[in-house]
Amino acid sequence: MTARVLGPIGVDVERGPALLSAIDAGPSLAAHRSRHGEPGRPQLTPLLADLERVGLRGRGGAGFPFGRKLEATAEASGRPYVVVNLSEGEPASCKDAALALTAPHLVLDGAVVAARVLGSREVHLVVPGTDLQVRAAIETALRERPDERIGFVVHRADEAFVAGQATAVIELMAGRPNKPVTSWQPAAVRGHRGRPTLLSNGETFAQLAILVLHGVDAYLAHGTPEEPGTALLTIHDDLGRRVVEVPFGTKWEAVLAQDGVDRPVLLGGYHGTWADAGELRDLTVSRAGLGAVDLTLGAGVVLVPDGCPLTFATSITSYLAGESAGRCGPCRNGLPELARALERVTSGIAGLAETERLCGLVERRGACAHPDGTARMVRSVLTRFHGEVERHARGGCSYRRDRIGRSA
Amino acid sequence: MKTQRLRVDWPSCQARGLCYELLPEVIELDDWGFPVVTGEVTPELVSAARSAVQGCPRMALRLVK
Ligand code: SF4
Ligand code: SF4
Repeated sequence: MTARVLGPIGVDVERGPALLSAIDAGPSLAAHRSRHGEPGRPQLTPLLADLERVGLRGRGGAGFPFGRKLEATAEASGRPYVVVNLSEGEPASCKDAALALTAPHLVLDGAVVAARVLGSREVHLVVPGTDLQVRAAIETALRERPDERIGFVVHRADEAFVAGQATAVIELMAGRPNKPVTSWQPAAVRGHRGRPTLLSNGETFAQLAILVLHGVDAYLAHGTPEEPGTALLTIHDDLGRRVVEVPFGTKWEAVLAQDGVDRPVLLGGYHGTWADAGELRDLTVSRAGLGAVDLTLGAGVVLVPDGCPLTFATSITSYLAGESAGRCGPCRNGLPELARALERVTSGIAGLAETERLCGLVERRGACAHPDGTARMVRSVLTRFHGEVERHARGGCSYRRDRIGRSA
Repeated sequence: MKTQRLRVDWPSCQARGLCYELLPEVIELDDWGFPVVTGEVTPELVSAARSAVQGCPRMALRLVK
């Protein structure tokens, strides 16, 4: 059963086991309450224990344990802010947009629970500036909610790859350009207006809501003992673009279109890592399992390009170079050179050593994770498709030229 | 005394290269003149590192624990 969500990013949203279990009934508060009930008012200490028990990690890409972030925010001095980041700078990611359109009250419940636990009076919601549907969905949902003695503030993010980085969001909230700046302390300690700020993406708050609404046992009923719960994935393959919710431990074969597992797959989005053709056959949706073979789930973007992975990685790298916010020298200068070097490798003009050197030169040398993520994806394609790199150096390509796709 | 680290505030740094002049022991310059921090600031280097921090015309360098 799928619900069609139309928008600038037409995407199918499939009903799922937890977060997306009530989407057939529509996004209204009434439908949400009849499926999920009312969240209680948990206290900090038991909530932290529950979060530890289910091992909830942030779903924005870095995968930081959410309980630790919540605890750090609670322990820092000053009344905290709660920030729900729905901006998804990565154009290939649609999961938070899908949540906003199909289950906005789950996200808002999570934010309200966090705000109450922390004693926050304000919840800030950052929506993509160009996706008017997401903003409208959130504003409609906010109007439906009864007075919760919490102020909601909606901010519109720029349409830029790095606009969703934590420090860029804090800048936006302060009325400055929506670009990353150097962070000397985590937002949990010193964020908006210098106060502790719990900033996470939409899915993380929705996961928190599911935990609080249905309890630990229900949460543990999905996934594996090591990785309980579910994850939202945005998949781009031969079946089209879709957002699905899958329990951890699900085989990739069951998730991807038929021959998807037998093709090269970019996991974790443009800052992600490449799986070789067929490699996913033996793997499941699991952070740890993927991590053991140098793969990352990131924010759950899964791209199955129709064509040569080297060519696809090259066009992504050029795009990412253009998305440098241009503030940090190594990123501004290094990413375009990296893109050109990879272009030479893909065209068979050599330059492999130079590409690897440039990766090393941009890593950890920017205000945000953009150079690191870009270098990660480039290193990964060179490592995973070493044979293909050599074939290109001899003027060949295993993927027919006319099938090269631009699926993202 | 524990070793400290030099951190660069990248959006502020404008590749003036003064830090490299003042602290060549742990700073090199990359292809574009931006600093590459090559190691930790050991206790012997702390005072030179402080000079680099103070000397940076963009106030883009910090010593962190
Ligand atoms: S690292 Fe790059 S993208 Fe990030 S803030 Fe600096 S210039 Fe912008
Ligand atoms: S002195 Fe300051 S501005 Fe100049 S290169 Fe070093 S850190 Fe950058």
